[in-house]
Amino acid sequence: MRKTVIEPNGRNFQYWKDIWNYRELALNFAKRDVTVRYKQTRIGLGWAVIAPIINVFVMTFIFGNLAGLESDGNAPYFVMVYAGTIPWGLFSKAITSVSSTFITNADIMKKVYFPRLISPIGTSIAHVIDSLVALSILLIMMLIMGYFPSVKFLLFPVFFLICLLLGSSLGLFLSSFNVKWRDLSQIIPFAISVGQYLTPVAYSIDSIPENFRLIYSLNPATGAINAFKWCLIKDMPFDWTSFIITIVWIIFLFPIGIYFFRKTERTFVDIV
Amino acid sequence: MKEKPVVLKIENIKKRYKIKVIKKKPENKIDSAKLALKSFLNPNSNKEDFWALSGVNFNVEQGEKIGIIGKNGAGKSTLLKIISRITEPTDGRIEMLGKISSMLEVGTGFNSELTGRENVYLNGAILGMTKAEIDAKFDEILEFSEVGKFIDTPVKRYSSGMFVRLAFAVASHLEPDILLVDEVLAVGDTRFQKKCIDKMLEIAASGKTILFVSHQMNTIRQLCDRVIVLSKGKVIFDGDVEEGIKIYNSDIYTEKKLHYEYKNLHRSQAKELDKAEVLSLDILNTDTCVYKVNESIDFNIKVNIKIHDLGDISLRAFFWQNDDSPVSVCFSKPFANINTPGEYNFNVKITDHHLNPGVYKATLNLLGGSSRVNENNLDYISPAFVFEVVNEDGTATLWARDWGRCNFKNLEINPI
Repeated sequence: MRKTVIEPNGRNFQYWKDIWNYRELALNFAKRDVTVRYKQTRIGLGWAVIAPIINVFVMTFIFGNLAGLESDGNAPYFVMVYAGTIPWGLFSKAITSVSSTFITNADIMKKVYFPRLISPIGTSIAHVIDSLVALSILLIMMLIMGYFPSVKFLLFPVFFLICLLLGSSLGLFLSSFNVKWRDLSQIIPFAISVGQYLTPVAYSIDSIPENFRLIYSLNPATGAINAFKWCLIKDMPFDWTSFIITIVWIIFLFPIGIYFFRKTERTFVDIV
Repeated sequence: MKEKPVVLKIENIKKRYKIKVIKKKPENKIDSAKLALKSFLNPNSNKEDFWALSGVNFNVEQGEKIGIIGKNGAGKSTLLKIISRITEPTDGRIEMLGKISSMLEVGTGFNSELTGRENVYLNGAILGMTKAEIDAKFDEILEFSEVGKFIDTPVKRYSSGMFVRLAFAVASHLEPDILLVDEVLAVGDTRFQKKCIDKMLEIAASGKTILFVSHQMNTIRQLCDRVIVLSKGKVIFDGDVEEGIKIYNSDIYTEKKLHYEYKNLHRSQAKELDKAEVLSLDILNTDTCVYKVNESIDFNIKVNIKIHDLGDISLRAFFWQNDDSPVSVCFSKPFANINTPGEYNFNVKITDHHLNPGVYKATLNLLGGSSRVNENNLDYISPAFVFEVVNEDGTATLWARDWGRCNFKNLEINPI
């Protein structure tokens, strides 16, 4: 029979084994999130498509037409913006939902044990599904427009993973503070909407003057978003500087995020 | 006989909570600003330690059915939360063998947008079942829940009865080696409650280890073969069921007396204490405050009337279960018309109450005018006294014959 030991600051190894044991629960959480999100709406999954498309149109108009910025690698401006919003959506949703995971799931967590990391894993899976839907819409639109991606497109799962890891690392880190200071749940959405303009989502990284480029690349999201755009846009050069900075951020933030999350999950039910 | 293996070993479990202590209110703005700054810089400055559990030890052998009882705040739920790994202990160690599941609440994680079927799978997964296990038991769960063709309807359209039936059905089809239950049996209508308890008995009979927290002594009697009494975070008794219940009763009855003084009692809901006040109460015709079903409860009260021409007064009595859930209320007609201040004594009889066996708290509410019409709230004492009701023959059937007929006759009050 399986032996379980409970101690203050319990052993880690048991915890990771538990995550594996509870993997079905993560899928169930993901399924719940996706089902609930689209159940009540008449057009269903269509909302995952329509809202971003309108958003993309607006930004294309502002940055491409009004400001007259250049696109990446001769791609139609619209395609470039759409390619930017997909990873940005994944990244920003991962931050928002992972950072509030203790609060949104407090009712369940107060009553049942499961390794708490299951819950951010579940939401992350749901966000990936959303992003895949958005990506397939973009591909259809690209085919209609006659702009085909090259083989490097097949690398997109890697860049999805990078965006997800970066967003959830930040989310995990913030989640522990979100339990104590609820103000964060007001600040995070604000920071995200500002952050979108500090990241090459709706414009090319080339629009940033050369001498600011390094500072601009210190933004952890810059490399992640730019790299994803690269895999969709044919003649776009790969920006190694920002990409490496992003990877360094992840290597640094992910363990810290896990550490804070683990620290909080032990006793957060006593506070919430 | 071969000794059974120990499946749960609890060693010196302690749990500390930090609780906020409100100190004396600052007198001026500068002081209150200082205080705010202080608590901002050092969030623990106005917190005190509270030990919900202060060293709990016991072992559980395979197949034992243990009832955990104790007053509110004795640490029962905290202990269950620690064993089910919802929160960590501050100190100590627990070793468990086998799969452990907890039923601390039914319907945890139910989502109102999802259908019954989707919720069964989600809730099952939350409780630790695999999809294969739920698939295998789905028909059984559906039948037990009596939800029938509504299984594919979103649960937000369910009646509350259907909701809890489905929720209990999922939870009760868990197959752990150790099951932790926290008073979830009281769901649905009486018929379904009976079904729930039968299901629990069935689980118990199948040789599973059960830890059961409840205030319902009769359920404890039915389900458990050993009782652990907690008081102030410590085990004060561990052993025989009847003996444990006796100790539990004597523990809650530390507040139970035959004579009550209310003079200095704080009453938050009394509106016109300056007009009239209940001073004291004496329980009559019993030494134990244990009444048989339908035995009348007899006591004297002393009332101090402080003003002239108060007029009619009447009395209301509320009854609460030991866990503060309300049970019923009874009213008196105006029993005296008082025009001169002074102390008056009255005898009160509560007859034919049909209360189910259990422990109750009574609240007394002294009113000006008639208790049904005029809500002139003079005095309100809660709780005024504590008593227990047992079956006539002392047996422990779950439902008293007349239960559900909480039909109180009017209070009988006479001047003495």
